[in-house]
Amino acid sequence: MKAIKRFLDKISNLYAKIKHNQRKIGRITTQVIIYALLITISYVFLFPLLSMISLSFMSPTDVINPEVDWIPAKLYFGNFGAAIRVLDLFKTLFNSIWFSGTLAIAQTIVSALTGYAFARYNFRFKRLLFALILVSFIVPVPIILIPRIMMIVSVQDATGMSLIGTVVPQLVMGLFGQGVNSAILILIFYNFFKMIPNVLFEAAKIDGANAYQQFWHITIRMSLSTIVVVFLFSFVWNWNETYVTEILVRNNVHLMPTQLGLFETLFFQRPVDIPGQDNTALLSEAYKMAATLLTMIPLFIIYFAAQKQFVEGIEKTGITGE
Amino acid sequence: MAKKMRDKDILKAIQRKSHQNKQAYLFLLPWLIGFIIFTIGPFFYTVYLSFYEVESTGLGWVTTFVGMDNYFMALFRNLYYLPALIDFIVLEITYVPAVVIASFIIGILLNRDIKFRSGFRTIFFLPVIVLSGSVMDKLIETGGTRLSDFSENIIFQMLMNYNRSAARGLLNLFENFTMVLWFTGIPVILFINGLQKINTQLYEAAKIDGATTWQILWKITVPIIKPTALIVAIFTIVQIGMYSINPIYEIIKAAMYNFGAGLGLASAYTWIYTLVVLFFVGIALLLLGTKEKAETVKLSSIQRLNFEQIKAKRDSVSKEVNNESN
Repeated sequence: MKAIKRFLDKISNLYAKIKHNQRKIGRITTQVIIYALLITISYVFLFPLLSMISLSFMSPTDVINPEVDWIPAKLYFGNFGAAIRVLDLFKTLFNSIWFSGTLAIAQTIVSALTGYAFARYNFRFKRLLFALILVSFIVPVPIILIPRIMMIVSVQDATGMSLIGTVVPQLVMGLFGQGVNSAILILIFYNFFKMIPNVLFEAAKIDGANAYQQFWHITIRMSLSTIVVVFLFSFVWNWNETYVTEILVRNNVHLMPTQLGLFETLFFQRPVDIPGQDNTALLSEAYKMAATLLTMIPLFIIYFAAQKQFVEGIEKTGITGE
Repeated sequence: MAKKMRDKDILKAIQRKSHQNKQAYLFLLPWLIGFIIFTIGPFFYTVYLSFYEVESTGLGWVTTFVGMDNYFMALFRNLYYLPALIDFIVLEITYVPAVVIASFIIGILLNRDIKFRSGFRTIFFLPVIVLSGSVMDKLIETGGTRLSDFSENIIFQMLMNYNRSAARGLLNLFENFTMVLWFTGIPVILFINGLQKINTQLYEAAKIDGATTWQILWKITVPIIKPTALIVAIFTIVQIGMYSINPIYEIIKAAMYNFGAGLGLASAYTWIYTLVVLFFVGIALLLLGTKEKAETVKLSSIQRLNFEQIKAKRDSVSKEVNNESN
């Protein structure tokens, strides 16, 4: 009798062990599947960028050679030389930085003011105006651009200044809170300012601080990190924005993305001589990719310096919570 | 006396309120002016312009009423606009669900406790920062975004016989799946954020009740995440229009580029385009909008029920105790 019981115990023990192992195996398989999926997705994400990098280091013979698929036979930097000359890189880079920087400063200031008004005060039509911020994000840009163009041209005619082809129109839009993705920037500020405890403002008020002082000495001083995030977002988005810029600035200010868009034309305007080739170098994919890589490098640097802030910035918009 | 005091208080409160109003509007002023002059005004003015012919003269802008001419021109006389519009609609129909679903899946994967999570997140957010229109164009031109060729696939061939434009849309979707993923940058963050806000007790309760992972996904995660999905869908619908994979983009830009003449026609172009976009936003609202209020009421009524039961139990216990002590 006892023997049978022991035997049964053993079996149930064994069963439990198997079950436990099964569960363990199951957990490991799900982990493996998740990693496999994530790595595949990352590969698809990065595939164009990787092929861009590999192409940009290929010498003209490697580009044509069907045996060279990913890794160039020899690291070749000539493409970059050509791309730098065609893009007129250093001037263009400088232009792009001050252009996006100016717009970003304007946008950051106005978004902070607007976000502060919504976070700090209760006023009439608050909910309506808040909804309008979100609406302004849905409105497609082309439909509001035509009257903007007409306004700018009218002002141009009236004053005799030339505005089309300069940063001024976009700067004015930015100063009035209507730049690229302004709604998101306002939301980032709004959600951060809302977290500042009200006690601080009350204490300041008792000490006799006026609205301006409350804004400057409490809010702005506390939210330096948020300001940096908003500035970086605005900078990057203004840098990448080509639709409005191409229409309003045309090619008067040489900016990175527009110059890249015109790469084919520019290639024949700004002659490139590559050592070991005739003076009339042929336009190859490798040059294009090298130029693309060059225009992306500043953004890569910004991104890797502040990647955490970027992701948190989007989380801070809080649009999922409301 | 008391009444007088109250009146005074109310008056003070009103004054404070109006003072607050003034201050708030002072902070709001730049944005408000900009919104009226540069966004909402132009929006309606473009609708108005689409019925006019706009000419730039030395004396300023001259508009003449032409009725529906611009629309006829856009839809019937321009050989490129209508096909581009149809392509755009196909693009939205194929890309938006793909982006929403893909970003939801990535969000779920990244919401788990895994190693290198931040590394993956960094990769998936990268396109938001480094992608400008011209960079995208260059990468498409050199074929970098093209993963493989599906056009010889037998299923695709069958579809092609059935419906040409739908088949082409699907082919475009599968061949350029990288593009779909590149639009998931911000949506993935939004989904992760939404998923983290879900109360984990709900999952635990479901698990105790014997729900499988699949059931938990469909019965708990999906309904709760729906509002996020709505925001993601709207965001994607708008965002896709801003890149040159949108076939209308070039037509509108070309019409706008020479603003000596033809801005009326350009207005008609953009207004039709905007209507399509808003139509899709409406569809997204219909499909993903939730009756949030009904749900919260249900939840609170359950809670109340629980409280009542607990209270009844506590009362009965205390009664018993009292009886015993007596």
